[in-house]
Amino acid sequence: MHKSRFRKAVEIIIFSVFIFFLFAPLLSLGIWSVALRWYWPNTLPQKIGFDYWLQALGITKSLTLGAVNVIPAFLLSLGIAIIVVIVTMAIAIPAGYSLAKLKIPALLKGIILILFLLPRAFPQQPVFINLMFMFNKIGLTGTVFGVILVHVVVGLVFAVWITASTFSSIPPELEEAARSVGASRLKAFLKVTLPISTPGLIASAVFVFLTSMDEFTGTFFIGIPFVTTLPMTLYSASGSNIQFASVIAILLLIPSILFMIVIQKFLKAEHLGGIGG
Amino acid sequence: MENNLKNELAVGNSEIGVGAERPHSYTNILPYILVFPAVMVILLLYLYPFLASFWKSFISKEGVLSLANYEKTLRLYRYDILFTFGVTAFSTFIATVLSILVAVYLRLSTGWLANSIGVLYRLPIFLPFVVIAQMMRTFLAPHGTLNLFLAKLSLVNIENPLQLFNWIGLTFGFVWKQAPFMILIILGGFQMIDKSYIEAAKSVGAKLPQIITKVLIPMNKPTILIAVTLVFCSLVGCFSFPYMLIGGKSPVTITVDIAHRVNYFGDYGVANALGVFSYILVSLLAIYYVRSMMKKGLYD
Repeated sequence: MHKSRFRKAVEIIIFSVFIFFLFAPLLSLGIWSVALRWYWPNTLPQKIGFDYWLQALGITKSLTLGAVNVIPAFLLSLGIAIIVVIVTMAIAIPAGYSLAKLKIPALLKGIILILFLLPRAFPQQPVFINLMFMFNKIGLTGTVFGVILVHVVVGLVFAVWITASTFSSIPPELEEAARSVGASRLKAFLKVTLPISTPGLIASAVFVFLTSMDEFTGTFFIGIPFVTTLPMTLYSASGSNIQFASVIAILLLIPSILFMIVIQKFLKAEHLGGIGG
Repeated sequence: MENNLKNELAVGNSEIGVGAERPHSYTNILPYILVFPAVMVILLLYLYPFLASFWKSFISKEGVLSLANYEKTLRLYRYDILFTFGVTAFSTFIATVLSILVAVYLRLSTGWLANSIGVLYRLPIFLPFVVIAQMMRTFLAPHGTLNLFLAKLSLVNIENPLQLFNWIGLTFGFVWKQAPFMILIILGGFQMIDKSYIEAAKSVGAKLPQIITKVLIPMNKPTILIAVTLVFCSLVGCFSFPYMLIGGKSPVTITVDIAHRVNYFGDYGVANALGVFSYILVSLLAIYYVRSMMKKGLYD
């Protein structure tokens, strides 16, 4: 009895420390986003308000806060992410299907798979600077198209793995059954395999969407200074305007948390580490 | 056993099916057509620049083959290379110990505390490093929230706050983001271990530390190694967080040096030599990762 009460107390202390370190940084971000006046060493801001939020959302247009409307940056990020999802999935679904379901000689398949594992194992930043060097020559740096290409590469590596593992989890008997009653390979795919794989494919698409929304390193080298996505706006604000930067950071984390809670059960744990590296 | 047999039968069937129904030649090249666009994208936009970082690191400013970039890199940045290795290895170590402890706790405990931790701990996994960077800038700053809080508890002298925009803050952010990811993977492995093993160990008098070191960790070694590998490799390559937290200071990580080299000096040679050093740092674990993924039979 006594011992179990002691255990409970220890458990609650550890729980409190855990909660503090988990949520205090988030809370800190939230407080800074509404702090209008906060003189050191006051524990809380003396004046709070949503001025930076209104400014960032384009509702007010004050020249004194040093914060700009981030809606254009948000729309740019959104537009890029949507195109990236369409392009990436259009490439990844056939590739994933082929790797999971069709016959490719073992050696070639091995080489292809290594190709898709390398970007996950090795640092990507040196790759991006050489891509920047290549893109400089053909005038793609600083263009939305160049940024889309980089995001496609980043997303594709995960999308191929996720779609391949989705397709390979479907028993081959189902498609065979459809084909044995005369359906073509395409029809069997569209009527049988595709509907069953939908949850996995949607999870993969959402994952690609988020990697694009959050992508930093590639955009930093290929996009700057002309393509200012939301993460780039956050980067520019973070050095100079802590409240404004905190507002953008919160705007960026909302879609990540919402989407990932919905799709995480469809994804293998290993893939989740690919977000926002 | 029964499953194996079923799979073999299924494979056998499909081979007969394809051979009998579709003798056309397009079925032979269909797999390659479908995989071609993805492979081309990776070859052109990943593998080519990846290989370019190796050979460009051997081309000097004058355009001749030399080791000049490496000489310069070691002269200017050898401390930063060691710093990168030190801070990522240390962060990975802390995250591993922490995540094993939490995963053990979650595996063995029940009740509302364990259940709520089991849900809440996942939150950082979903946040990108650029958001975490801004968060840690407000939290760890000399006049930031953590110092205010510690000063309120009289743990810190308010005139002399903790300076955390250095390896300590970097480690804190790295662990904050990656320990939850490791918990997720390692806990998944622990849950595959049947409870009877733990009961058996208990019945012969094993205490908790022994259960952890003699049962849970050895039985879960491959999963833990994969988690360590993924985390270490991603931290060596992490750019946004170090750049935003300690970008203007010294020492910094390799990734920050690469950005400075390219943006301020247009010096791709030294930047690529630094890149090769970052490849070397991850090489052992990266090769282990690729090999174990290939062995695993890919998608299961």
